Parts: sequence; C-alpha cells; structure tokens
Amino acid sequence: MTKTFLSPPIARILGIAGAVLAIVAAMLPWTTFVLNKGAWPDKATLQFFDAPFALTGFRWELFLVGIVALVCSVVKVPAQRRVLRGLGFGVAAIGLVNFLFITAEGGGLGAVTAADGASAFGSVAALVAGGLLILGTFGQPLEEIPRWKTNLPTPVEYLGLLVSFAVLLYVVSLTLTAGGQGGAANPYSGPMFLSFLGFGGGLMAAAAGLGILRWISKLSEKHRAFSIIVLLLCAFLLPFTNAGTEYWMTVAANIGVYAATAIGLNIVVGLAGLLDLGYVAFLGIGAFVAANLSGAAASSLGIHLPFYLVVIISAAIAGIFGAVVGSPTLRVRGDYLAIVTLAFGEIFQIAARNNIGGLTGGSNSIPNIPPLQWFDGTAYNESITLFGTPLPSGVLYYFLIVVLIAAVMAVFANLKNSRMGRAWIAIREDEDAARAMGIKTGKAKILAFLCGAVLAGIAGAVFAHKTSTVGYESFLFMESVTLLAAVILGGMGSIPGAVLGASLLFVLPEKLRAFSDYRLLIFGLALILIMRFRPQGLIPDRHRRAELAGEDAEGHTLAETPGDEPEQPRPQEVPAR
Amino acid sequence: MTAPILRAQDVTMIFGGLTALSEVSLTLDRGQIVGLIGPNGAGKTTFFNCLTGLYTPSKGQVLLNGRQLPSDPAQVTIAGIARTFQNIRLFPNMTAVENVMVGRHARMKQGPIATIFRGPRFRKGENEARDRAKELLAFAGIGRAGDELARNLPYGDQRRLEIARALATDPQVLLLDEPTAGMNPQETEATRQLIFKIRDLGVSVVVIEHDTKFIFGLCDHVSVLVQGKLLVEGPPEVVRNDPHVIEAYLGKPPEEVQAEVQHAAELLGGHDKGVNQ
Repeated sequence: MTKTFLSPPIARILGIAGAVLAIVAAMLPWTTFVLNKGAWPDKATLQFFDAPFALTGFRWELFLVGIVALVCSVVKVPAQRRVLRGLGFGVAAIGLVNFLFITAEGGGLGAVTAADGASAFGSVAALVAGGLLILGTFGQPLEEIPRWKTNLPTPVEYLGLLVSFAVLLYVVSLTLTAGGQGGAANPYSGPMFLSFLGFGGGLMAAAAGLGILRWISKLSEKHRAFSIIVLLLCAFLLPFTNAGTEYWMTVAANIGVYAATAIGLNIVVGLAGLLDLGYVAFLGIGAFVAANLSGAAASSLGIHLPFYLVVIISAAIAGIFGAVVGSPTLRVRGDYLAIVTLAFGEIFQIAARNNIGGLTGGSNSIPNIPPLQWFDGTAYNESITLFGTPLPSGVLYYFLIVVLIAAVMAVFANLKNSRMGRAWIAIREDEDAARAMGIKTGKAKILAFLCGAVLAGIAGAVFAHKTSTVGYESFLFMESVTLLAAVILGGMGSIPGAVLGASLLFVLPEKLRAFSDYRLLIFGLALILIMRFRPQGLIPDRHRRAELAGEDAEGHTLAETPGDEPEQPRPQEVPAR
Repeated sequence: MTAPILRAQDVTMIFGGLTALSEVSLTLDRGQIVGLIGPNGAGKTTFFNCLTGLYTPSKGQVLLNGRQLPSDPAQVTIAGIARTFQNIRLFPNMTAVENVMVGRHARMKQGPIATIFRGPRFRKGENEARDRAKELLAFAGIGRAGDELARNLPYGDQRRLEIARALATDPQVLLLDEPTAGMNPQETEATRQLIFKIRDLGVSVVVIEHDTKFIFGLCDHVSVLVQGKLLVEGPPEVVRNDPHVIEAYLGKPPEEVQAEVQHAAELLGGHDKGVNQ
C-alpha cells in the first residue's frame, strides 16, 4: 500500500471529476424506452423516467452522494481518501444495480446507452463516476481513522447520542420502506431497495471513514444505560414512522423472532464455539409446545394456559432437549458435533412432519392458534390507537417482540460477562487449557446448549401466537443455516451483530422478491462479498474482531505472522534479542 | 518435618509398546522448589501430564496431601495443582485480566440463575474475582497489561500471564513447564525472582527446564530424568557434579571419548586385519 502511482493533484482532480460526473449522471436519463412493467423508476410517465433533471428515487440518492463527494473532494476533510472511497463504492453500486436491472429488463445494452434515437447514459456515467472516485483514492495509502474527543460535557454527549439514535431510527424506517412493498404491483421494489442500500452503504462508509461511527460506539459504551434506554425508545417509536403499516410491522416482528433466536444461537456458536446446524429445532419445540397449550382447536391436548405459563413451559421443554442434544458434545468435537446437531434438526423436522404423538399436526400443521390478549382483552392482532395515533394491526406483537429481544439481549450480556461466559469463551479458545483452569468443560458445554435452547424456546412460544399457524415447514434445515449465517454475518459473540445479521438475512429475501429467479443468487453473492471484505462480521465482538481482522482492541492493524502452525494457534512474538 | 505435599510413587507410563516413563518417583515438600531436568524426550512433560490428570499413569500413583489424585484435569486443578504449558496456551483473544479471571473459575460459585439476575452477591463475587486478578497481574509484574488482549502481549509477558493465571486457581502446587524457554538473561533472572516470590507465598513449585544453570540457582532439590528413568536426584550441588549427569548433558569427557575412539579403531583395525588375513 505504500506504492504511489498518482500524485496528489491528479488524485484530487480524479475525485472532483468523479463527484461532478455522479451529479451529472443523476441528471441524465437512465433508460431509452419504457420498461415492459411500467415506467421506470417511480411508475411515472414516459417523460418522467427518461426526462433529464428529474430527481426522485435513486436518482435523488445519487445526486445527494454526488454533492457530498464534491464537497469532500474540494474541502479538506479528515481521512479524505477513506471518505471518498466509501462514497465512490456507493455511487458505483447505484450505477451497477440499475445498469444491470435495466439491461436485463429492457432487453439489452441499448436500454442503457443509445437506441431508437434516444440516449440514456445515466447508469454508465454513474459507474464511471464511481470508478473515478475510487481510483482517485488509490494514489496514497489510506489515512488513519480520525479519533474524536469522547470527554465532552455529559449533556453534549447525551445530545450526540440522541441525535445519532434518532438518525438510526430514521434510517431503519427508510430501509424498511425503501422500494416499497414488493409484489406484482411494484415490480421495481428490488432494484430500488438495492439502490438505497448502495446509497446508505456509501454514506455509512464515509461516516465510518470520518470516525463518526467509532465516536458514536465509544460514547454509547461510555453511557451504556442511557444508550439502551434511548435505543429501546427508538424501537418503540418505529411504528409511528413511515414503517408503521401492517405489512412492515409483520416483517419487523418476523425479523424480531429470528433475531431473538439468533442471539440464543450466539451463545452456542459465538461464545462456546460449538457449531450447531440444527438449532431451529429448538424454536420449533417452543412453538409446538405453545401451540398445544394455546387452546387451538387442532391441538390434541386441548388445554389453554395463560401465556406467561406457556412461555415458561416452552422454555423448559426446549431447554431439556437442548441438554439432551448437548450431551454428545462430551464425546465429539468440531465437524462431528456439527453432524450430530444436523441429525437432531432432521430428526425433529421428520418427527414433526409425521405428527408424532399427534402433537405437531403433521402436514396439516396446527392452525388457528388464538392471538394473545392484552389485559383489557384487546387481541394482539387488532389495530390500536396510541397517543392519538392509530397504529396498524400487528403492532402489539411488534412491541412484545421488542421486549423479548431486549430481555434476550440482557440475558446474553449477563451470561457473557460472568464466570460462565468466560468459561465458554475459554473453551472456544483452548479447550485443554480451559480444563487445566478447573473448568468442567462437559458441564459448561451442556449448559451452553441448554441456555441457547431456552432462549429459542421462548422465541418459539411468541412465534406460535404471532403466526397463528405452526407447521414443520417453518423449521427446515434452511432456517438453521440462515440463523447460523445471521450470527456469523453479524459477528460471532456480538449482540448487535446478531440482530443486524438476522435483520439483513430476513429482510433481503423479502425485499428481493422482484428478482424471484435470481433472489438466492444475489443473496449468496452478497454474503460472499460481506465475508470477503469483513470476515469478522458486520458488528464484531471485541475479541473476534482482533482474532479475524488482525486488529487489536483499538483497531490498529497488526502485523500478522502468516502460516501459524496448527499446534500453536496464536502468533507468538519472537523475543527481540 | 511435615508430610510431603505431593508424592509421586513409581509412576510408569506406557504408550502402546513405548515406555515413556518407568518407575519415576518424586517428593515435594511444602514450600520447596524442585527442578526436573533432562534431555529432550526424557519424559519430563509426560511426567507433568501424569501429575495433572491429563494422563492416568499405567502403574504407580500420585498422592496430593496423601490423597490419590483424580484423573480429570479440572478436578486436579480444583484439588490444588496448577500448571503452565511448554508452548504458551493462553486464551489469546481474551484480555489479560479475563485470562486470570478464568483461573478463578473453580473458586467462584455463581450459578446461571444468579448470573442472569445479577444480584448484589453476584456483583460482589465478580468484583472480588476482578480485584484478585489485577492483584495477581501486579504480582507477576504485568499489572499495566490488564486490558490488553493476551495475544498482543510480548512473549515474556505472556509467560508471566500464564503463571498469574495458574496462581489464580489458588494452587498448593504449581507446575511450571519450561518457564524461561526463549527468554534472554534478564528475563530469565526476573522469572527466577518471581518463582522465589511464589514460593514465599507458600506454594510449592516443580519446574521443568533445559537451562541447568537456571535450575541449579533456583531449586532446593533436582531430579534428572533420562530416557524415562530417574537418573539422579538430590540437592543441586550433588547433582551438578554427578558424572552421570555430566555425561547425559555434555557427553563424555574428551579423554574418555578419545580412548573410546582408539578402542573402536583398534577393534575395527583388528577386524580389518582379520579380513586381510
């Protein structure tokens, strides 16, 4: 990275040119003819989508990024190259998404260049602009991320956090609603959403380059209690934003259930380092137990217990199964353990499909599970009015799940920073050394499985009432893998990471419906890219960050010693003399 | 004199057809530092593994305070024997303080329920463990490294951290496997002082080491292990001058080798003559 092939003035010119070109690209028309499924991008008229200077949707986003890039390349901002590179990737992403989509939908390259006497070089220009911006940053090595003061007066810091979290709430709301609800009526929701991701990602990368993200995370670590309260408040405020429709509330609640489950899995995989490929079975056990105790007509038990009791019973039964599945861990390690857990997941799924004991409804599933009821008898799937604002139906489930996630997070954090959590991490790091420290590793591992299963069981009980139908097809191998991917993607051992990972993995498929055929392909590509460029996960745990990125706790890159012997898993410094 | 704290009697360890240890005995008195030396492959680490429950001896027994040692490393640690490893085995991605706190594991009593609800008793236990960990880091001379990840510590500090972590288990006996491997003379001397300090705490120490100078300057009693057998044992000055030890370590004195060479030459020569005849 010390090679310099671009002198600073040239790099500067490239940056400015790229930024200007990005702005120009936003002004240019983007397609040469009407797309088959209606005008592009906003289902507007022909004049609109190919008209110059029409700034809406992704073109407005591109315009904004271009302006920011122009300001950042002209004014001397800290860590300029980092910021510009981030913005450049954002511009290129918006260009690429729309280039590909319009080419594919519009029937060839003519749609994005010139055809039938019309020209539309918007996406090409955006791609070039992104390239210029990125190229301009390769002249010199990237700067250190600047550090901002974190010892300001407390009210100022509180204000900073409040503003940051308010922005976060707005971003979440925008991300959820970006591109609108997918489906036949809105065939462009996929690319619109991806464009928005490019836009948001570019700005985020720029903010990270400026050191703002680190500043926020430092502050929120410093004022932990305050941050948690504000974040909870933000979560409760989400239904009051644009995302407050029934559809988005349902999506958010679904994400929430999986996020809670992912946090449970994080105990097993992230902390104790035990690979579990059948974890969704515990969610299923919790859900089936709750379904059978809910008084649903199809349940063979026909009992109706109050919800809090149901939750406890679901958790207990899932926990028992967790301990049972965990017991082979005394004998098998690594790959073999993964196979055992995989087998357990399949056993559960096949047992549920065959309606073992009449408890799972088999392929008919257990339908019509009654919704939960608030104390005044309001069912959770009714719409309510709060503070004079009518909220859509499903919002009560959303609130319940926010509370659930908060509780699960608290349990996870408490376990992690304790005697037990340290024992789990020690087992993950070096099992023999852990035993030499007096840790009964067998007991500790079973406890990890048990705790993870209990959390999944609780999530399952909520899941059963929320979806009102519980069948085996909700708990297939694919779900286990997705949960595992959520944990790894977000960052093993990290709580916000698991939530973010679950959100991405369950929002993306929802959002990419428009690409029905290519959905999984795009999804897989995205996963590969993220893992290539951020192997430690999106929001890594402090420990894992160091392990996988070669960074110490402060984020300095360390010189890694390559090719460590397997017997000595840690790079050891050679004594200086 | 009180009864020995650790007594290994005729420990024999056979792997398949290979006898790694044969009838090795060792006695450790309270507050004593015992050294175990021997060439590579002599079975020193195997002997350690028998003392810590990692291996169960094929024959013979190990008694701690007159009681048979359990055959599970965790139980052995709980019973009061702690160890360090020949190739450092810290928890690399935990901080130094956390590493030592893991060592406190067996001495803390907090179940999962107490952990989740974090009552005042839980906090008290947690704070005590943290304070003790910091105390031990300071004792080992790396008090300032508390919040560093173990993997980022310099080599010498990693060795010290391993000792601090072992001490956190409140051991009666501490087994150190090559504590000065790869250290320079100053670091070696600092380690020697640290071991004396540990002895002064009332912990008995067994040290494996290649560096005979280090061992003779440290130990009250030295055992020499060669090819799985106890060759010599006794106070350092006796062991130091024992011809067998000198032979095992330095080979035979030059004149003796010379004589042997001549002898061999004669034999060969005689043989040659025999062929010629």
